[in-house]
Amino acid sequence: MSLPPPSAGRELANPPSDGISNLRFSNTSDHLLVSSWDKRVRLYDVSTNSLKGEFLHGGAVLDCCFHDDSSGFSVGSDNKVRRIVFNVGKEDVLGMHEKPVRCVEYSYAAGQVITGSWDKTVKCWDPRGASGPERTQVGTYLQPERVYSLSLVGNRLVVATAGRHVNIYDLRNMSQPEQRRESSLKYQTRCVRSYPNGTGYALSSVEGRVAMEFFDLSEAAQAKNYGTFATGGCDGFVNIWDGNNKKRLYQYSKYPSSIAALSFSRDGQLLAVASSYTFEEGEKSHEPEAIFVRNVNEIEVKPKPKAYPNPAA
Amino acid sequence: MAKDPILQVETTCGSLLYELQIIWDEVGETETDRDKMLLELERECLEVYRRKVDQANRCRAQLRQAIADAEAELASICSAMGERPVHIRQSDQSVGSLKLELGKILPELEEMQKRKIERRNQFLLVLEEVENITNDIKGQGEHVLSKPPIDETDLSMRKLEELNCHLQALQKEKSDRVETIRKHLCTLYSHCSVLGMDFNEVVSQVNPTLTDPEGPRSLSDHTIDNLDAAVQKLREVKIQRMQKLQDLATTMLELWNLMDTPIEEQQEYQHITCNIAASEHEITQANSLSEDFIKYVEAEVVRLGEVKASKMKELVVKKRSELEEICRKTHMLPVSDSAMDQTIVAIESGIVDATLVLEHLEQHISKVKEEALSRKEILEKVEKWLSACDEESWLEEYNRDDNRYNAGRGAHLTLKRAEKARNLVNKLPVMVEALASKTIVWEREKGIEFLYDGIRLLSMLEEYNLLRQEREEEHRRQRDHKKLQGQLIAEQEALYGSKPSPSKPLGGKKAPRMSTGGTATNRRLSLGAGMHQTPKPNKKSDQRQVQVDGALSTGRRGLDVAGLPSRKQSMNPCEQLQSPLVRKPFSPISTTVVASKANIATPQQLVPNSKSNAVNEISSFATPVKNNNIIKNLEEEKMMMMMQTPKNVAAMIPIPSTPATISVPMQTAPTPLNNNNNARFLPEKAEVIEYSFEERRLAFMLQSESPIHV
Repeated sequence: MSLPPPSAGRELANPPSDGISNLRFSNTSDHLLVSSWDKRVRLYDVSTNSLKGEFLHGGAVLDCCFHDDSSGFSVGSDNKVRRIVFNVGKEDVLGMHEKPVRCVEYSYAAGQVITGSWDKTVKCWDPRGASGPERTQVGTYLQPERVYSLSLVGNRLVVATAGRHVNIYDLRNMSQPEQRRESSLKYQTRCVRSYPNGTGYALSSVEGRVAMEFFDLSEAAQAKNYGTFATGGCDGFVNIWDGNNKKRLYQYSKYPSSIAALSFSRDGQLLAVASSYTFEEGEKSHEPEAIFVRNVNEIEVKPKPKAYPNPAA
Repeated sequence: MAKDPILQVETTCGSLLYELQIIWDEVGETETDRDKMLLELERECLEVYRRKVDQANRCRAQLRQAIADAEAELASICSAMGERPVHIRQSDQSVGSLKLELGKILPELEEMQKRKIERRNQFLLVLEEVENITNDIKGQGEHVLSKPPIDETDLSMRKLEELNCHLQALQKEKSDRVETIRKHLCTLYSHCSVLGMDFNEVVSQVNPTLTDPEGPRSLSDHTIDNLDAAVQKLREVKIQRMQKLQDLATTMLELWNLMDTPIEEQQEYQHITCNIAASEHEITQANSLSEDFIKYVEAEVVRLGEVKASKMKELVVKKRSELEEICRKTHMLPVSDSAMDQTIVAIESGIVDATLVLEHLEQHISKVKEEALSRKEILEKVEKWLSACDEESWLEEYNRDDNRYNAGRGAHLTLKRAEKARNLVNKLPVMVEALASKTIVWEREKGIEFLYDGIRLLSMLEEYNLLRQEREEEHRRQRDHKKLQGQLIAEQEALYGSKPSPSKPLGGKKAPRMSTGGTATNRRLSLGAGMHQTPKPNKKSDQRQVQVDGALSTGRRGLDVAGLPSRKQSMNPCEQLQSPLVRKPFSPISTTVVASKANIATPQQLVPNSKSNAVNEISSFATPVKNNNIIKNLEEEKMMMMMQTPKNVAAMIPIPSTPATISVPMQTAPTPLNNNNNARFLPEKAEVIEYSFEERRLAFMLQSESPIHV
């Protein structure tokens, strides 16, 4: 059996023992925060490939994000919104939803934590609220359906829900959405991510398509500058796309399992890939979870996709 | 001696007396006698004197009379002529003797008489002329017979002037009339020429004298009036005809326009159409308004009209076929032919105006085009669906072919096709779902049913789904049966020490006979049986083991996608999947199964090595979760309970295999978006509930944690 091709990236040690729901690079360092269905949030230092912290929650952790290098937030199926402080190993509950919380983001612009839940609400929290969940909740905003994905950029919040609804909010005025849209994709929305330049967002669906949208429709009519972006699918492939030419730039070699999450490091040099079965076909046997971190600029030559051999006999 | 005659006489007388006396004396007459004789003599002499004097008196009186007469006559002449005599006789004028006077007057009188006669002649002339002209003017038959009376008392110049003036006036009138008549005749001639009428005939009807240019013509008022009337009448006729011709020309132009008549054809009638806006007096060409000519133009217009009618008819037929074509292409029912035929007959018989029909047809066509446009999207999807169904049936055939993996010519193409077909078939339920929801939206918006060749599309889809369901049920039954069998065999083998290979579970149920539900006559409703076909068991060269239904064989990448059974095996070790605990082979799982699921056979093998084939074999990850009946069965039920919304139960991922459990959720369940085949399609209750992977995973997880069923 041949060695795994080097281009797969470095595999992190001590991966979660159950599905990975999300992973994120920190904005300030090469720390990676990983949330998992094994009810734990893990903090890795990628440069040293070591586990820095581990937090056990009451239920599967569905999302996590950094606040700064010392703390972050996590949400999960126990309906709770938590802040976790890494070094101290402490956690406290900012608040709760009525149903599992699916997404969490931290807005530096607003200084608020924003969560989306299957109880069809988006809630904003002030993490500085010291005493108890009641004081921290800043607002709650009803959505047309269960929230499946959130993304922030600047002052804009994009909320993608079941039923293919997309609400776009201005964080400064959450009383009602700035825009109400319907996903232009025909299948269930999987994930929404805003462009770093704040001009729009990308929507993906369970069919395997990605739609590129603009906030300002007049801009949409102009020359679109989509930039490059990466997508990962349940086929185990990560593709890098050139949005302008609508071409795939390169495709990394196949990962052992579905791509559950992707995250670029702050300088764009690294890409963390969560290879973890995402339950798209229900309960079945699958490869174990793995996290790979690869250099992005090492890809100067298009890699040929190789069949990933069975690592374990 | 110049003796005074009288003296002479006296002398004579005296001598005589002397003599007498002598005589007497001689005779001796008495004195008395003498005296008596002398008296007598005197008396006689007196008598003679008296006679002479009377005579002379008479003469004088005559002279006077003559003068008076002459004067009277002269006066009368002068007064009649209005002139004074050259020599005016003055009463006190002593002309001298009467004879002289007379002598003077008489020449004057003669003179005046002569002049009077001359004057009178002049008058006569004038009067005669007047009479002539008046005769001419008054016309024949009104001939004035009597000579005009001359007023003798007025022969003055003034009167003559008067008469002259009168004459001149008459002459002028006559000449005016002549002129008028001439003009009228000219006009009449022109009109007749234009109208193509015989001038002489027309004129003679007015007045026969007018036809002869040489002879005397009637100049009477009557004639002139008649002539005038004739001219007017002809003018009216001319105007009438001109208007008619102009109307015809207009119509002609319209028809030419309508039918794009070539210039050469139009050229012939150019001279008419150029007059289309002319006014009456501008039309002067001979026969340009004659009856024949107008008939000729009329005939052409009629001909053009007929050409137009036939072209209209052609157009109607063309439009109608265009309409039919559109209907055919978009699978709409066409307009009934009989109605159209009737319409065409009506057009031919002139009852119905072809333009109206054309308009109506155009409207109909644009309406149909609109509808076709609105149907376009759905039709495209229908085509895709239908071709997917075709591939489905092809795939079924293919899967039944035992030789399909023999590498023959073009085998790779077939393999490719099979893989593509499987992909397609996987997408089928979603396709149907999407198509159905689009159709519902369309029907709602339009307020009418979406018909495909006369059949309601939604019914077609429903039937298709029904068929699929039935088939799957059939498959499942067969698979269960096989599983049971396999289990028995395996148990036996276990007893006898042989062990089936754990890593190569084989699925091997052939698809059951195709369920031919109801109307599976046309392709829309035929289900590709390959959908449900499990890979043939004996395909893998290595362990072909027991007939474990639903087990995956390693090599079965493509086929597995389609196969329900491919999931089935993993259903079994559901709980054990992620845990390090490896389920013992052959340990019954029926205990783990909900009671109603008794028929889910035990899986022989586990796939404890979660690294086995199953995961990577699935190629079409792009499709949403579906075709996973079997796996879902267990988790579905669990999730059903989890979700606690009975309605949503089957909505989730439907249907366990047992009919018993099928029925309930089926009947109540609305179709989920990413449904798989078994969902019953109920468009009316469009409550669709989707779940994300995470939701399902959570439900599963919670359920597996709960102590309900172990």
